[in-house]
Amino acid sequence: MKMASTGPQQSSSSLKRRDSMVTRESDQLTITPLGAGSEVGRSCVFMTFKGKTVMFDCGIHPAFSGMAALPYFDEIDPSTIDVLLITHFHLDHAASLPYFLEKTTFKGRVFMTHATKAIYKLLLSDYVKVSKVSVEDMLFDEQDILRSMDKIEVIDFHQTLEVNGIRFWCYTAGHVLGAAMFMVDIAGVRVLYTGDYSREEDRHLRAAELPQFSPDICIIESTYGVQLHQPRHIREKRFTDVIHSTISQGGRVLIPAFALGRAQELLLILDEYWSNHPELHNVPIYYASPLAKRCMAVYQTYINAMNERIRTQFANSNPFDFKHISPLKSIEEFNDVGPSVVMASPGSLQSGLSRQLFDKWCGEKKNACVIPGYVVEGTLAKTIINEPKEVTLMNGLTAPLNIQVHYISFSAHADYAQTSTFLEELMPPNIILVHGEANEMGRLKQKLVTFFADRNTKIITPKNCQSVEMHFNSEKMAKTIGKLAERTPEEGESVSGLLVRKGFSYQIIAPDDLHVFSQLSTANVTQRITIPYSGAFGVIKHRLKQIYESVESSTDDESGVPTLRVHEQVTVKQDSENHLSLHWQADPISDMVSDSIVALVLNASREMPKVVVETEPVKDEAEEKKKVEKIVHALLVSLFGNVKYGEDGRLVISVDDNVAYLDKLNGEVESENEGLKERVKVAFRRIQTAVKPIPASAATA
Amino acid sequence: MGTSVQVTPLCGVYNENPLSYLVSIDGFNFLIDCGWNDHFDPSLLQPLSRVASKIDAVLLSHSDTMHLGALPYAMKQFGLSAPIYATEPVYRLGLLTMYDHYLSSKQVSEFDLFTLDDIDSAFQNVTRLTYSQNCHLSGKGEGIVIAPHVAGHLLGGTVWKITKDGEDVIYAVDFNHRKERHLNGTVLESFVRPAVLITDAYNALSNQPSRRQRDQEFVDAILNTLRGNGNVLLPVDTAGRVLELLLILEQYWEQNHLTYPIFFLTYISSSTVDYVKSFLEWMSDSIAKSFEHTRDNAFLLKHVTLLINKNELENAPEGPKIVLASMASLEVGFSHDIFVEWAADSRNLVLFTERGQFGTRARMLQSDPPPKAVKVTLSKRVPLVGEELAAYEEEQEQIKKEEALKATLVKEEETKAVIGTDIAKADPMIIDGHAQVDAVGVRGEAYRDVLIDGFVPPSASVAPMFPFCDNSSEWDDFGEVINPDDYVIKDEDMDMGSMPIVFQVGGDLDGKLDEGTASLMLDTTPSKVVSSELTVQVKCSLVYMDFEGRSDGRSIKSILAHVAPLKLVLVHGSAEATEHLKQHCLKHVCPHVYAPQIEETIDVTSDLCAYKVQLSEKLMSNVLFKKLGDYEIAWIDSEVEKTESGMLSSLPLSTTAPPHKSVLVGDLKMADFKQFLAGKGIQVEFAGGALRCGEYVTLRKVGDASQKGGAAAIQQIVIEGPLCEEYYKIREYLYSQFYSL
Repeated sequence: MKMASTGPQQSSSSLKRRDSMVTRESDQLTITPLGAGSEVGRSCVFMTFKGKTVMFDCGIHPAFSGMAALPYFDEIDPSTIDVLLITHFHLDHAASLPYFLEKTTFKGRVFMTHATKAIYKLLLSDYVKVSKVSVEDMLFDEQDILRSMDKIEVIDFHQTLEVNGIRFWCYTAGHVLGAAMFMVDIAGVRVLYTGDYSREEDRHLRAAELPQFSPDICIIESTYGVQLHQPRHIREKRFTDVIHSTISQGGRVLIPAFALGRAQELLLILDEYWSNHPELHNVPIYYASPLAKRCMAVYQTYINAMNERIRTQFANSNPFDFKHISPLKSIEEFNDVGPSVVMASPGSLQSGLSRQLFDKWCGEKKNACVIPGYVVEGTLAKTIINEPKEVTLMNGLTAPLNIQVHYISFSAHADYAQTSTFLEELMPPNIILVHGEANEMGRLKQKLVTFFADRNTKIITPKNCQSVEMHFNSEKMAKTIGKLAERTPEEGESVSGLLVRKGFSYQIIAPDDLHVFSQLSTANVTQRITIPYSGAFGVIKHRLKQIYESVESSTDDESGVPTLRVHEQVTVKQDSENHLSLHWQADPISDMVSDSIVALVLNASREMPKVVVETEPVKDEAEEKKKVEKIVHALLVSLFGNVKYGEDGRLVISVDDNVAYLDKLNGEVESENEGLKERVKVAFRRIQTAVKPIPASAATA
Repeated sequence: MGTSVQVTPLCGVYNENPLSYLVSIDGFNFLIDCGWNDHFDPSLLQPLSRVASKIDAVLLSHSDTMHLGALPYAMKQFGLSAPIYATEPVYRLGLLTMYDHYLSSKQVSEFDLFTLDDIDSAFQNVTRLTYSQNCHLSGKGEGIVIAPHVAGHLLGGTVWKITKDGEDVIYAVDFNHRKERHLNGTVLESFVRPAVLITDAYNALSNQPSRRQRDQEFVDAILNTLRGNGNVLLPVDTAGRVLELLLILEQYWEQNHLTYPIFFLTYISSSTVDYVKSFLEWMSDSIAKSFEHTRDNAFLLKHVTLLINKNELENAPEGPKIVLASMASLEVGFSHDIFVEWAADSRNLVLFTERGQFGTRARMLQSDPPPKAVKVTLSKRVPLVGEELAAYEEEQEQIKKEEALKATLVKEEETKAVIGTDIAKADPMIIDGHAQVDAVGVRGEAYRDVLIDGFVPPSASVAPMFPFCDNSSEWDDFGEVINPDDYVIKDEDMDMGSMPIVFQVGGDLDGKLDEGTASLMLDTTPSKVVSSELTVQVKCSLVYMDFEGRSDGRSIKSILAHVAPLKLVLVHGSAEATEHLKQHCLKHVCPHVYAPQIEETIDVTSDLCAYKVQLSEKLMSNVLFKKLGDYEIAWIDSEVEKTESGMLSSLPLSTTAPPHKSVLVGDLKMADFKQFLAGKGIQVEFAGGALRCGEYVTLRKVGDASQKGGAAAIQQIVIEGPLCEEYYKIREYLYSQFYSL
């Protein structure tokens, strides 16, 4: 069941206009980044296919505050989303979740891994506390976070879940503890969303897994574009060298790092380095994050999500129980004498403790600031990498920038080498790049295009709110089971039965088997009504015979009263002198037959005194035919409007500019428009069925 | 035709013996569970030994011996080498359980069925899966997907779902639908209409009181004893149900600020709890939730002291205490020792939380009335002294010499092969060897013959017939360089190789074993087991409460009726329970219920016919689905056509569709319908099994409504009444409950 994907098109029109189409099942798969489209931050990707809607991630943009930091939620209708999948706990992937869950019409289900959920709460509570925005700009408060916790469901790595026909599972992504890559399968079309991932194993995390199945579309991060990372040991050496030389010259080292995730890796490196260098033991390392301290329990518990190395270490002692690193609560507690190493959040240097320390230390030449990870455009951390002469302090004053700035990336994002090998092994026919700065992404796209030149791989870099549309003509397969399948039919034979759809699987089942293969059951409704009638039974019989083709008379086995079986469906029985009873199995046709019998009986009672005159109805074949023709014409007019008699006896039906010619005798239709032809054909067939009398065989079919 | 499925029980049918079943699916042989009892009776494994070599994969469902105990033995003795699949907790706790069993048994007997190394190597090949992970088998099992699902009985406990070609075979034993403190209930009920369900009848006849009541009785019994200055012994398993008991006690102690000490005593208790702490993902929602909110790990036990040897318990302060000790069977382990000590005191209480295995001491004590006295064998491992020690050492020396000789021979052969000189040159060394080992010379000779006559191993090979060539000795001009110390008899200098028991800390222990345990395992002093029989008067109170964490008979029946498998296979349970459940299921669940005997292969291939057909766009564009819960349903009339690729494709009919009898789809619940009519302002009441609607109309359901699965599942509804407006109105409402197709 492979599908041909036609060229993806990009369109920037709002998704809202297509709301009506969302409900209709279509073969069009639409992917729209609401954030992180040709930018880094506020990751949020919206996807619909076959009336199912999935959203990946729900972050904020760290460079903005308030509403401006949100992804473009107004582009979509949150109530249509079935599943929301969060890859990891970083703010740019998860921080707008409380807002989205509590303040929008979203009513789907949210999933993340266990570790992500545990840290998410701590991290966002912290975020609410430290963000210095006015109350009306606050996107959510502590209570919203707590309430969101109740709505978030957990998923374990590799666990396959199914919601509303959408199947999904996740793989280890390696980026931070609990980070996942989600694979979503809707009607056989697979989409992989990597989130942030790293293919390199480090001190505590596993490398991202290579999914077992190749996806049809891979939505992949491109943070580092075409850059290549230095090997890990070189980076570690540069890092420790910078720190060592700075403190040996009496300087202070500031490491602005995001509180969780990479910070733990850096602390592991520092702690190990200090253990190996006793001469450094008098230089304190501070870790200014009460948050990280609170998260330690999480790191200690989910060791099963980490690599073998840490699990082996854990067996002896807890590697996250640092021997040379002490926590620092606030700048007031910090006794700034002599050399020290301080790791403080946030990593962007926008506010908080890291900024306070930066402002304090930036004028001193012997101090150093080591930026250990990716920095987002528009933040101070990004600004100082380019080493401007002056910087603006928090208090609005400008100061000379003398501090040594080092940029040594430890962020666990894939570099070009990892991205290209990952994609090469995965071989997705469609690649969508997100989570990357526009220029960097453009270079990556160019390079990947050349790399995959010999394959028919499409690489797309949509901007925010720019939809990527693809078509997947999936063939629907049904499984015929049970009685219907006792014999596999030959070509041209007909098969009739119930088509049952659950999720995206189809079954064709005989009505009797329905309860065997599904949880549905069928019912037979037997109806029995009694009608007052005191006339002779024979009268009824006579009248019925006039109307119905088949009236069989017999006697009831038990009571011996005469019965009539009309049209093989309805049994009329003379219960007593004054009553007739009718019983039949509920069925539209039988119901109709019974209604007519009831009417006939009631009429017969009223006309009782009259003598029945036997008059054979005059059958005029020609008249009959004319009548039928008239009805057919009238019905066609009501359906198609303009219906005329053509010259050759055919009916000419014109709808807009399309014309169809209908042969009334054999039902043949001629038209250039296939759709119209088909419709006229079906309509004519149905009309013919309607004007003809009900065949006696209807019940037995 | 459907997928071929055969089930052959290898152990554990019509009785409570351990579980072990062979399930082959299209020729791919699964061994599901590989259990052994606490007696480690090899005769139970006879059927397994006959099929072990043709097994393609092993699936483990729970971490206790009843489900995986025979694994090390089978891998070692029967050549079972298939890949094993289990969840992470089953793997880890199973390993710990086996260690505990081994250590307990070794303490009191010359246990030689398997060693710690055998356990480690058996568990080495375990592929760990998470719940609901679809694992696609490859190779011979291509097309088969296996997935573990929550069973609810033990941590990591698994209901296995094996799928091939859309047909499900489900193996669900010892499941628990009730949510507990540390575990979620089973998800078995979410599987509907599997082709085959294999389940147990173990609890088919039992009934349980409510959890609240049972928990209260549990702590009451314990507290009464403690307040009466008695001790409480809970014989428990190593790492299974004990976790729930620990949580119950921990929580109760916390809430009521009790100070009676609680001890958890197994050889590996502290590693057990350490590992359990990192398995939060596998536990109940409430545990996960409390961790997310407060980051308090539920298994950070404040009131429970973890002990790994009995001396520590003896050092504990005097006074009433609770001890949870393994094994639950009271056959071996700390529980046995403590029982012997405590049984004679009428103030004490021995509280059983699970039914003892058949034929064990625990089972005997649970009988009604309990025996007044039991015979116990008090065995102890004591270090060798005096003559015995000397004799033992002499023997060891012999063995060592023999080994040295063999090594010499091997070495000699290697040398010969390498340098290509003739045998004569090596003669002095051989003579040297003879001088060393006159006593075992015969064997030495034999080896030499083999080596000299006719067989020259290639120089690259490492002596294929001798697995012990690592003992490489150094050579100088005078032959082998010897260490004079080897020939001096010294007690403290015995090395690992000279012990009667070769203990080695397996890599898998990750150094997590407790010191005491390690010291036991590394105990280098030669020792022997001294046994004495004695009779213990049982004066203490004996209580049995069901904390087994299995669904009870009634729930099992309702779950089975809900799952409604097409074919049902019953295993594990007393003959009486099996027969009872079989009869019940035949009547209420499905017409195909099997309860095979040991080694009786039953064929549960579904007689289902099926073929696949492609639904063309043309056909589908004219289909209007009606939605019914998760399902969407429509009537289709189609014409079959063969596509170029030989696939069947269905197209719309070219002729007028033949009329068909209409189908009413839906499930009418009389009570719900009554509510519905009442809501519409119609007077309704039940009268004599029928629903009286309004003044004249009656509505009845005929046929056996309780029967599910069977042919009678089509509901028969009769509506009766005189001709009146009301009749048609009610009929209208009735129709509205169904979809007519």
